[in-house]
This record gives sequence, structure tokens and C-alpha cells, in this order.
Amino acid sequence: MYAVRVNCTREIEFHQNCEHKMQAVVTPLTQALSEGNLTREELRELMERSNGPALKWLAAWVAVALTTSSLVVFAWNSWLIWPTMFLHGIVIVHHFSLQHECVHYSVFRTRWLNKLVGTICGYIIVLPNRFFRYEHCDHHTYTQLHGKDPELIPMPKNITEYLLFLSSIPFWYARVNELLRHTLGHLNDQEKRFIPAVEQSSIIREARLMVMFYLAVVLLMYTTGLWAPLWLWIIPLILGEPVMRFIRMTEHVGRPTVAQRQENTRTNLVSWPWRFLCWNMNFHAEHHYASSVPFHALPDLHEKIKKHIYIEPAGYLGAHRDILAQLRKGPSSTYAKG
Amino acid sequence: MQRDKQWRNLIAVSDLRKNWVTRVDFGNRPLAVYDAPSGVYVSLALCNHGGADLCDGYFDEHLIECPLHQGAFDVRDGRAIDTPATRPMKTFPARIIDGCVQIKI
Repeated sequence: MYAVRVNCTREIEFHQNCEHKMQAVVTPLTQALSEGNLTREELRELMERSNGPALKWLAAWVAVALTTSSLVVFAWNSWLIWPTMFLHGIVIVHHFSLQHECVHYSVFRTRWLNKLVGTICGYIIVLPNRFFRYEHCDHHTYTQLHGKDPELIPMPKNITEYLLFLSSIPFWYARVNELLRHTLGHLNDQEKRFIPAVEQSSIIREARLMVMFYLAVVLLMYTTGLWAPLWLWIIPLILGEPVMRFIRMTEHVGRPTVAQRQENTRTNLVSWPWRFLCWNMNFHAEHHYASSVPFHALPDLHEKIKKHIYIEPAGYLGAHRDILAQLRKGPSSTYAKG
Repeated sequence: MQRDKQWRNLIAVSDLRKNWVTRVDFGNRPLAVYDAPSGVYVSLALCNHGGADLCDGYFDEHLIECPLHQGAFDVRDGRAIDTPATRPMKTFPARIIDGCVQIKI
């Protein structure tokens, strides 16, 4: 028997093989349906999946990535290579958004396509797809709950912490450390909680394959003298990561560390280029309400439930103004003080 | 002593959501009834991974996906298709008699 807590609505107990002990968990979606914020027919329409929208979006995505990488090549022998690598890096780091959608199986109707594309994205941004799926499931179960949400970004205590987070130095330290730890066959206690025992060996195997791939790339660059992956992938990834940290902060940081989705998640209204890059994940509160709704339907879901979620109309910058304002007022005024 | 399982009426076929999943409370048991291309199937409504209501999830041909974590099951035999679901869900034999879905329980 084990206990599961979802959205603070209730503690429940399961007997793994005993149907009689199972109790319903009130997900945000169940709650929205029962409160009439959304009808089942509307939900069904919103959840409809098709490969078409994703393939079109992906084609445009590849075109953008090719354009920004071409800019890097054109700027090869000038100082402009650094700003172009930064621009290209912004596109590279947004593979996280596509991978994120893929771990929810909501990009493509064909499920294996989600796995394939998610895995490729993971290799680009150093995030093993299978592991991320488990970790992210736990994030959806325990969103913003200290000690439980494995993706929780704590509210910075001061401006130094804020800037350090944006630098991505702690992020890369943790990411590389995590990958190497898994490669050596070690999962920490939190990971053992959210990864079923039967799956733990596959997580370790996945990390080892990824490390072997990176070693092969380095060896290839060294032996052939072709260093293009360094300039078109690795350096842009490092240069662009602070932008992704800036965006990831806007999703939950500064919102209350409570289970209620109406409170703990922020939707940011941003312009279409940013929406394109993040696969509509700026509609983050909507996504947490109904994670089965594909990215292309999130704007429609937004229209249905916008009165029931927290929205930052000034977008990413507005969210950071909010975070900084809370920082200036001190810990007693911040939401995320737990 | 264990009672023999019997066929019991569950829901009229006309009340099913076409090509989708319909929730039916059978006594105190929430059940999910699937109108699939190859027939009607019935399972417990709650996901055996996190306890979410599968009837709020995405249904596609023979696949039901949990609305909370997108773990998935094949409604024909209950086998887990995608993680984090790893154990088969409980299914019930189902048939249609005189326009009514029956389950053996």
C-alpha cells in the first residue's frame, strides 16, 4: 500500500491490486468540469489530436533553426558570430518546449512520433526524454509543493540568487551532475519515488547512451577537425540557456507555493514569435489544467477558462517585474516563502 | 464463498458517447465504458497509477490516456501501453444485449 497526494485535495490510499481501496483524485480538470468551467464536449473537442498542426509547426521550426544556424555560418569570421550564436541559441534552447509537449504525447497523434521527437530534442538540450517524462509527471502531481515538486524553482531570496539562477550556472551544474549520477547507476531517493522500480534500469541505460553519444561527438570533432557542432550547437546552447531560465521562472516562481492551480501557475501573454518558439507553453496555467490538450488548442482553452486562472498580461517581462517587486518587499511579502 | 459472476445491465447503448468514453457509476464503482471501433469495452474508471478519472482523458480508437500524466492503456485487455502506467488496468467482460451494455461482474 502507498499514499498519493494530488493537488492537496485529499490524501488517498491505494492497494496496488485492490480496486475497492481506490479513491478518486480530484485533478484540476475534474474540478473544472464539475464547476462548469468547461463541458465534457468542449474538452473532447479541445483534446482532439492530429499530426497535421504539429508537422506544419515543426516544418516552420526547422526552417527557423536553419536560418539562425546559417546566420552563424555567414558571420563566421567576424565579431557578429557571438550575437548570431546567441540568437541561434535562443532557438536551440526552445527544443525544451517541444520536448515538454512530446512527453505529454500531445504534439502528434501518432504516439511513437512524440517519443522520437522528444528523444531527439533531449539529445540536443542534454535532457534524457524518458527520465524527463517521469520527473515531469511528478511536477504535475505536486506542482509548487516544496520538497515534493522535483522541478520546483525556489523563489530567490535576493537579487544575487536571482541573477545566479539566470546565469544558468546552477542549472548546468545540476544537469550534468544528474546525468553523470545516472550514468554511474545512482538514483536519489526522490527519483526512486517517482520512477517505478521496473523502469529504473532503463533510466540508467538511457543516461549511459546519452553520455556515449556526446563522447562520440567530441571524438568525431577531435579526429576530423570539424568543429561545427561546437559553434552551431554546444556554444549556442550555453549562450541561449539564460533565456530559457528567464522563461522557466515565469511559469511558477513568485506564485503561491500551494496546490491550487488557480494560484500556483502563471499564464503569460506574449507575442506570436515567443508563442511560436515555446509551442504555446506560455499558456501554462491552461496546460496544468488539462495537460492532455495539445499545444495548438491551448489558446482556445485559454478563452474558455481565462476567468479561472492567473494571467500575466505583460508577458515574461511582466512576470519578472512581479518577481523582482516581491524580492524588493522582502520574504514576508513573497508568495514562495515555504 | 465466492459468488458466480453474472451479466448485469450497465448502460443503454444510445446513452454512450459515440467513439468516446462514458463514465457510469455501477453501485459505488465508477466504471469507464469505451465505444471503440471493434466494440464496447469496460474498465474501472480510475487510473491505477495516480487515481485520476480516465473518463476525463483522451480516447483514441483502443487507447485511453490518463488526463493527469498521459499514461495509457489498451481498453481491449487493459494492458499498460505507456508509462507512468506500468500495471494493467482492471477490465470487465462486456456485451450488448437488446441495446444495453452488460458486464460480467
